[in-house]
Amino acid sequence: MRDVAAQDWHAAVLAAREDGYGWFDWLGCVDEIGVADELRVVLSLRRLDDASAPELLLQCRVPRSEPRVDSVRDVFAGAAWHEREAAEEFGLEVVGGDRRRLLLDASVEAPLRKDEVLAARTAGPWPGAKEPGESTEGGASPSRRRTVPPGVPAAEVWGDRDPDGPPPDPAEVAAASTGGRVRRRSR
Amino acid sequence: MSAPEPVVPVGGPAHGRIRLIEPACTSCMLCVRECPVWCISLDSHTEPDPDVPAGARPRTVNVLDRFEIDWGTCMFCGICVEECPFDALEWDDAHPAPAEGSLDLRHGIAELA
Repeated sequence: MRDVAAQDWHAAVLAAREDGYGWFDWLGCVDEIGVADELRVVLSLRRLDDASAPELLLQCRVPRSEPRVDSVRDVFAGAAWHEREAAEEFGLEVVGGDRRRLLLDASVEAPLRKDEVLAARTAGPWPGAKEPGESTEGGASPSRRRTVPPGVPAAEVWGDRDPDGPPPDPAEVAAASTGGRVRRRSR
Repeated sequence: MSAPEPVVPVGGPAHGRIRLIEPACTSCMLCVRECPVWCISLDSHTEPDPDVPAGARPRTVNVLDRFEIDWGTCMFCGICVEECPFDALEWDDAHPAPAEGSLDLRHGIAELA
């Protein structure tokens, strides 16, 4: 894995191609929320002249609030498809990339960012909300611990919360992706 | 309508359907909570354990009342089979029977046995 600064992204990919890594494999994006307030763009290249050579991974980190990276579709034409996908799923801005929508409706913002709430899951009851030995939801004592389904933050964080409070913290919303115990109220 | 002969691949039964071995189930809710598509639901209640030796502190056990898999929602990922700590769920070669409507695809304890 080779780290590249965002402004050197295009030059680094071009240099890698000159270096013999002439076959573009894939380009992906990772939401690093919870670790860093960044999106990580990763690109995989291979050599065709040496099949046993390991793949070359280039990565660059861009801030989540302003994720901007140069397009490399003039270096590898096949990267355009991957860039469009990353742009749609993560809200990445690919400067000089193909701006057409690829998969999703334009109203969908960035569904693969980890602070995206699976809102449809709040509409129906979760079968896993019951405890062992229970047959009706919420039938046990009110003091027992509450669990939420994966992908839905606790009501204090997102949803049925204080309307005058500050906007939900994206990191806290993202932490709900694993589900489990409802966090203790901290304010 | 007759189902085709099940093909048993090397290494285990085909992922035709999931069987419930009711006596092994402790109603722990793990499969219900791990299911990514929420297709499993179960009801249970607690009863005093009859196998407590005389003089010992009374204990309660969970008794399974209802266990349901909705085959219309299940995506046959097998996470429930993997997660069950008591091996109460297992793969079976047979496929769930076709049904007239989606409600008939919700199979209970009897159909899942």
